[in-house]
Amino acid sequence: MVETINPTDSKEALELLIEEASLKGSDRLSRYPKHRFFGYFCSYFPEELIIAAGLHPLRLLPDSENSTPVELPAYCCSLARGTLDMEVREKWRDLVGIGFAHTCDTMQCLSGVWASSGQSKTVDIVPPVMLKAPGASRYYHAELHTLLSKLTGLTKQEIKAKAIRNALILCANARKLAAELDVLRPNLPSPLISSLLRAGQLMPRSEYTQALVNSLPALKAMAEEPHDKAKVLVSSAVLENDSLFEMIEELGGRVVADDTCTGFRHFSGVTVGESEDPLLDIVQRYSEMPPCPCKNRSLNERISYLTTLAKQRHAQGAIIIIRKYCEPHAWDAATLSERLRKNGIRTLTLELEGANAGGQERTRLQAFLESLPDYEL
Amino acid sequence: MHTTKEKRPSYRPLVSNKVLQQTMGRYYALTSWHRYWGKFLRRPLAWVTSGAPVELLRAFNIHCAYPEQYAAIYSARKATVALCEVAEAAGYSQDLCSYARSNIGGVLRPDLAPLGGMPKPDLLVACNNICGTVLKWYEVLARHFNVPLLVLDTPFMTDQLTPQAKDFVIEQLSAMAADLAEITGRRFNEKKLAEQMNLSRKITSLWIETRQYCQASPSPLNAPDLFINMAPIVVLRGSQKGINFYSKLKDEIKERVELAQGAIENERIRLVWDNIAIWPQLFSFYKMFSEKGACFVTDTYSGGWAVEQAPGTPIESMATTYTEVFLNRSPKFRANQLINLIKEYRADGFVMHSNRSCKPYSLVQEVIRREVMRETGVPGLMIEADMADPRAYAEEPVRNRVQAFLETFDDLK
Ligand code: SF4
Ligand code: SF4
Repeated sequence: MVETINPTDSKEALELLIEEASLKGSDRLSRYPKHRFFGYFCSYFPEELIIAAGLHPLRLLPDSENSTPVELPAYCCSLARGTLDMEVREKWRDLVGIGFAHTCDTMQCLSGVWASSGQSKTVDIVPPVMLKAPGASRYYHAELHTLLSKLTGLTKQEIKAKAIRNALILCANARKLAAELDVLRPNLPSPLISSLLRAGQLMPRSEYTQALVNSLPALKAMAEEPHDKAKVLVSSAVLENDSLFEMIEELGGRVVADDTCTGFRHFSGVTVGESEDPLLDIVQRYSEMPPCPCKNRSLNERISYLTTLAKQRHAQGAIIIIRKYCEPHAWDAATLSERLRKNGIRTLTLELEGANAGGQERTRLQAFLESLPDYEL
Repeated sequence: MHTTKEKRPSYRPLVSNKVLQQTMGRYYALTSWHRYWGKFLRRPLAWVTSGAPVELLRAFNIHCAYPEQYAAIYSARKATVALCEVAEAAGYSQDLCSYARSNIGGVLRPDLAPLGGMPKPDLLVACNNICGTVLKWYEVLARHFNVPLLVLDTPFMTDQLTPQAKDFVIEQLSAMAADLAEITGRRFNEKKLAEQMNLSRKITSLWIETRQYCQASPSPLNAPDLFINMAPIVVLRGSQKGINFYSKLKDEIKERVELAQGAIENERIRLVWDNIAIWPQLFSFYKMFSEKGACFVTDTYSGGWAVEQAPGTPIESMATTYTEVFLNRSPKFRANQLINLIKEYRADGFVMHSNRSCKPYSLVQEVIRREVMRETGVPGLMIEADMADPRAYAEEPVRNRVQAFLETFDDLK
């Protein structure tokens, strides 16, 4: 299948990325028989080190939002339930290991549950929560060292500084390309962008960057002024499909700013490469990227960042998604909504079981989009 | 069918309860009236999480109040639903921790809160050794009150305490001391901190000793006793008043053991409790057990305060002790803890409260339950409820499950 992996034709490259995004890695063994994948959950797991270890980072996404593995109670987010259920069904059997970055209480518990009841090997990293606390960078750096030795233990291969450097360059490239996509966002259908960004968390990264480079001409050709679209910001945890973005688009909206775990937030922030020790560059990147609600850089940083982003992108409204039982995002929803409203941006908070938006959401979304100042169809 | 004997109250009240009420009553009154004496005595009021390094705050003469503790009172006094609804209307999802929701409800509508709600804080101190919720909750409070928020980040322990985590916490504690010096206008006095640690050690030893008496059969205390009597170890740790209370309690429990007086009539089944109490049903729920001769001889929740301090300088000791809190540790550690309790207290089974509010406590319980059953051979029951919000409590199914569970012991005994 190698010839379909890296097409040079712009349109085919685009098709490949869309296909990969919808497959969510499920075809990895036939598509990439020579690659060894390593699963991870969260953008705070440094994929640079996975790549440096000669592995391919695969973001684990659930194949159903209704799974109820006995190991977890029902009042647990469907990302945790769904992926654990897939572990039970041996869907992750080929993975060299699965990486957990400590973020929310659920992720913390999932790592322990997985280690006790799953077959896969698990690897943890506990980044600081208070990213600017005294000693946080030093601690983070030491944690990365520990992670390096855990990964070495897993692959039984030394990870050279050069390999880390190369991985940093590759990831920086992917982020740069994602940023280019993000700029095109107002001019392209929202579900398309969300697909393309998700693909970058599922495919081998070199293949991804190559395909994205090749598809940019087609994307630029497709881009057009979004005259009559209602411009919105979307903030959410993981979204494993484009259902919500499709609905927004269908109802005459356009996502001009994306703060989702599986969307642009995953790629946002800087990648630096000047330090003598590449681990220091990684610390800096992950400490300075726009924070998710599980991390704190300062009391209002996340809220101010999102308010500014919404204003810069001329968003008229913001859609705040709470994945059922997801506490960190639910906590920020109230403050975020209040702050955006104070800045003249209307907000709609929607609770979704998983990523699928249904009939009820359609009605609310439609009413919301219609209420936005410049909305006309 | 109840026999006449069983109709006698199955609950044996403690004489020291009076001292408990006095001690706590005085504490709540002092806290409520803080605005009249706090400034004058230069003793700011801090709202702190239950796992905050309170000895350090006390070394700066800070008066500490515990939103979690107040939330438990709100619940016992049946105010939680109304308060949670206030928070929910303000945009806080019903799936968030009910302590947090009812506290926020009380902040927005003190008139609905027992004790008139909590007095306004001068600062907030949170430590994430119990959960990630406290960070988000205290962020909300910090924005609302516009007061300083100090957070101690104690990295979750997937296994043992790593040197880097310990150093990180030490560094933060030192920085926190500097922040507190600035906030209070007092100098950091390491000697005073050592004294506070000493007092804490004493009170903890008394609580440990008291609990250990429950290894006797019949057990002198049952879970509701443990839950009620843990209040001073939480809010008055490091105070002489707390020490006085636990000395009395310990003496009374010792005497109970000498007289072979059990907390319940005819102890027949010895159980261990896991998770926070079900406050709104504190007596009715546990009565289902005591009626059948089942006594909760120990628990992991109030046992969280029965942990000896780690060695080292005061700051080092605090860093280790507060990071090694059981909720900050892996399911493997927690399973071992439960296994040891079952062995030490010769328990016949255990009951886990799957507490919708508290994810770090609850999401790992099923794997722990299986491991503990495998290792000890005793049965473990899981019950879904909520520590404070009665809307999450389904009476009938709970009763049925409890009955079925207790019947398994009839077959065995
Ligand atoms: S952040 Fe939310 S969606 Fe993600 S794992 Fe945690 S609870 Fe689940
Ligand atoms: S989530 Fe659990 S540990 Fe955290 S404040 Fe609520 S009850 Fe306490």
